[in-house]
Amino acid sequence: MKTAITGTAGFIGSHLAEKVLSEGHEVIGIDCFTDYYPKDYKLNNLTNVLKNKNFSLLQTDIVNCDLTSVFKKVDIIWHLAAQAGVRASWGDQFRLYSDYNILGTQRVLEAARVCGVSRLVYASSSSVYGDVNEFPMRETTYPKPVSPYGVSKLAGEHLCMLYATNYNLPTISLRYFTVYGPRQRPDMAFHKFIRAVLRSETPVLFGNGDQTRDFTYIDDIVDATWKAGILADAVPGIYNIGGGSRISMNDVIDLMQDIMDQPIHPVRSDRQKGDVRHTAADISAAAATLGYAPKTVLKDGLSQEVEWLKSIANGGIYGY
Amino acid sequence: MAIKKDLLDILVCPKCKGVLELTDSADGLICHACMLNYPIIDEIPVMLADEAVSLKKDADKSDSE
Repeated sequence: MKTAITGTAGFIGSHLAEKVLSEGHEVIGIDCFTDYYPKDYKLNNLTNVLKNKNFSLLQTDIVNCDLTSVFKKVDIIWHLAAQAGVRASWGDQFRLYSDYNILGTQRVLEAARVCGVSRLVYASSSSVYGDVNEFPMRETTYPKPVSPYGVSKLAGEHLCMLYATNYNLPTISLRYFTVYGPRQRPDMAFHKFIRAVLRSETPVLFGNGDQTRDFTYIDDIVDATWKAGILADAVPGIYNIGGGSRISMNDVIDLMQDIMDQPIHPVRSDRQKGDVRHTAADISAAAATLGYAPKTVLKDGLSQEVEWLKSIANGGIYGY
Repeated sequence: MAIKKDLLDILVCPKCKGVLELTDSADGLICHACMLNYPIIDEIPVMLADEAVSLKKDADKSDSE
């Protein structure tokens, strides 16, 4: 099958591309290499797939590119391209979020419709929920995002639903809960913490550390995302994709100390605007429809990320 | 590894949606209507109008010669 992955050079996109190629399908990768973090990091993510004859990479942005020519013979689109970052989405920067996450998603959907694509999977986020009172978060919970980023991802979900109901374009939105593992973005908490420890620097912890997250390992995310695209009987709609357990940042730091075998004493800083207090996913819908069952426990997944960061510590691109 | 033909076949100019022509040295894609050369860097076509090189200067230079 011919497939396309937008945001293919990113953390999740690059892992997904490897999975799709390993299943024998063709992938057209699209990425505009935004400067949210350096292009070298992203090219490094693509080291394996660039060697694959079934992979083509196109550097373009989804807002301005003629996607109808790109999606002409494509069966499945995984739409992962987005302007990332909750805290950076305030102020003047919101222009990027509205362009890439809202307008860009509409452009992808419109081209998918015109080209008669058989399935579109949209990478959404747990940030659409905001601060809710009921846990676990269910897909039926009324979303009240607390960051402009969350608003932009929710708008993308709504656009997916509109194209599904008005044009019969089968769309599946996956609400990812705090994804971690090898290739995690350098602005994300685990990456920053581990990097700081490896550099003998003091990591910064925002808030008092009591905030909890449903951390989800990259392999589990890829499994769900792959299935959402490929399973013929996957029902279009919205699905939570969580890791299956909820843990506070203080407990994560304890775990990290054990794994890295050294004490970690972070500097405490104020909670940031846009950060939610807690997240926890009800994954029963994804389990029923996609057969989703997270396999990686936090200790194992975190160890993998530590090993990855150690392995590139002398590689240069992350500035060690 | 040269740029794949399949990929070339689906690319159009991001500005005018017109056809593109591969340069002789296979390091760019030219839109004659817009007079732009979209670079191919490390076999990755960069289909961003901001990154394209204008061919107008070359054309002006040729005219004046």
